[in-house]
Amino acid sequence: MTRLSISGLAKRFDKVAVLKGFDLEIANGELISLLGPSGCGKTTTLRCIAGFEQPSSGRIEFDGADVVRLPAEKRDIGMVFQNYALFPHMTVAENLAFGLEMRKVAKPEIERRTAEVLKLVQLSDLGGRYPRQLSGGQQQRVALARALVIEPKLLLLDEPLANLDAKLREEMRFFIRSLQRRVGITTVYVTHDQAEAMVISDRIVVMFGGEIAQIGSAGDVYDRPASRQVASFIGLSNFIDGTVDGMDGEYCNVDTRLGRMRCRAGGAPAKGTAASILARPEVIVLSSTEPQDVNRARATVAERYFLGNMIDYRLDCGDGVVMQTQQPPHKVFEVGASVWFAIPAGQTWLLAR
Amino acid sequence: MAAGALTTFGPAVPGDAARARALRLLLIAPVVVLIVVFLVLPYLNIVVMSIRVPSTRAPYAPGFTPDNYLRALTDSLYLGALARSLAIGAATAFFCLVLGYPVAYHLARTNARFKGLLFAAVLSPLLVGVVIRSYGWIIILANNGIINQTLRGLGWIDSPVRLMYNEFGVMLALVHVFLPFMILPLTGAIQSIDPNLEAAARSLGAPRWRVFTRIVLPLSMPGIQSGTILVFVLAVSAYVTPMLLGGGNVQTMATLVVQQLVDAFLWPVGAALALILSLAGACSVAIYARLTARTMRRLGP
Ligand SMILES: Nc1ncnc2c1ncn2[C@@H]1O[C@H](COP(=O)(O)OP(=O)(O)OP(=O)(O)O)[C@@H](O)[C@H]1O
Ligand SMILES: [Mg+2]
Repeated sequence: MTRLSISGLAKRFDKVAVLKGFDLEIANGELISLLGPSGCGKTTTLRCIAGFEQPSSGRIEFDGADVVRLPAEKRDIGMVFQNYALFPHMTVAENLAFGLEMRKVAKPEIERRTAEVLKLVQLSDLGGRYPRQLSGGQQQRVALARALVIEPKLLLLDEPLANLDAKLREEMRFFIRSLQRRVGITTVYVTHDQAEAMVISDRIVVMFGGEIAQIGSAGDVYDRPASRQVASFIGLSNFIDGTVDGMDGEYCNVDTRLGRMRCRAGGAPAKGTAASILARPEVIVLSSTEPQDVNRARATVAERYFLGNMIDYRLDCGDGVVMQTQQPPHKVFEVGASVWFAIPAGQTWLLAR
Repeated sequence: MAAGALTTFGPAVPGDAARARALRLLLIAPVVVLIVVFLVLPYLNIVVMSIRVPSTRAPYAPGFTPDNYLRALTDSLYLGALARSLAIGAATAFFCLVLGYPVAYHLARTNARFKGLLFAAVLSPLLVGVVIRSYGWIIILANNGIINQTLRGLGWIDSPVRLMYNEFGVMLALVHVFLPFMILPLTGAIQSIDPNLEAAARSLGAPRWRVFTRIVLPLSMPGIQSGTILVFVLAVSAYVTPMLLGGGNVQTMATLVVQQLVDAFLWPVGAALALILSLAGACSVAIYARLTARTMRRLGP
């Protein structure tokens, strides 16, 4: 098993900087996901680690040994591609055997390990099939099995679930996660689906424009995002702009257009700093009578959408401020009704503006 | 209502399917007519001609005979020419494949701006007529041609190296002109191979040459097959190039056929030779297709 450390990784294509020199440490057995919008450099990062792309500068180390000069076939990496990249002219068993044959493993041993891994991904009966005779989900698992059967140092997955339907995608998340735990392999998982990243990873690396915006657990990036950009990329958010008036323990008083508000803060911003309060739609509490909370304001229900487990409201708070909130469906507010809303201070987060 | 709405998704109404089929037949009709009128009928004519009795005063004498075939298949001159034709065809196909594959791979994988230029270069041999092209080769390859003069000028040789009026010159010219027929189908086949398959193979531990032999080569088999068959058939039946660059020293079946028809005025003999060549070529292609069938089957429908 392997510890992966990346330092100063930069990659330019024709002078366009796609990766802008970042550092990343991944512990032995850890699963981290690279999460970011399309074109932010996730695949490029993965391809640099795999050895398909030569970094313009920086180091990539497996257990402290630099591999940048090592060709892809010598890096001992299992990779799962978005389109699976199964060899169409080989059966499932032959696809799995390929990596072992390249390692000159003996025939009986190949058969044993292939069967073992096929069992692990629950495809024992399908060894003789060609990839074209499998469903998308089965192909996905074959790709996973083919990457794992060589017992690689590192597992790299590039949006492995992107081509599956929503239901299967959800199942496979848990499947991949539990498989990875069982095998205990260090894994880098690329996705642009935040829910997937949250379920599957030990830590999430949020990337924008070739740089790392934040590294942290699902809780960190959701509840304590490093920037407004991270906050709006992950989950739904309301931002209430204001000016810092002073600190009160780990809380901060902010003057906003909705009045004075109390807000959780990571640091201690100076009085007068321009800031935004992050309030996730589901932490806001709606009521028809005035709440006791410090952070409260009046609003009019402007729009209402039924989501099944939640009702989504757009609140017109006056002064051009619109808030989005999601409420449990047991109490319903009519469009046009005048309501109170409260934002519990403990569930807010102060961001620089 | 519901049934009516469904019909818009496909030819659920019988009349629809029939009309679609009629349209398809109409569209392929011109080609079918062309083939029947200009290929099948002439071929039948040749078949009949090949069993007629040769005559030097008329195209043929009355009556029918198997002699033309018997003579062709027992005379070592004809058998030698047949063997030479097939060998030149196979060798031309082989060299086109070996030389064309790297070009096709590059064309398929590059996204460089001068890709169009490279394509034009690949097609360029076809832009010049076969006679002019052959004379071009003669200027280069002849005993007092460019190459020999240069070598002599450099003092590397005393007497000219024989570069034409032999199989070498013929094959060189054939490979040159038929390369596009190899490169184009190969490029198409390689282009349809997902580059991620190569990346996947590398990550599984395959060095580049292994990726080539295990992944790219088998998956490009459809292109290899059509390219080699095309070049083989064209080279086997080539006449002008062996004639001009062989200068009578390279007797192929095609040159013999023309000799029989034009010089000896023995149409039935020429027809029999032509048919033997066609049949031998077709058999070779069939055997080749059998040999490659296993790989092709793995690629699926
Ligand atoms: N071979 C290449 N040549 C030039 N530019 C490239 C190349 N590969 C990637 N890029 C550019 O680098 C940027 C990052 O690409 P990358 O594929 O890493 O993005 P990504 O984060 O994986 O996006 P997605 O979620 O869409 O897969 C993109 O702007 C892309 O256009
Ligand atoms: Mg990508």
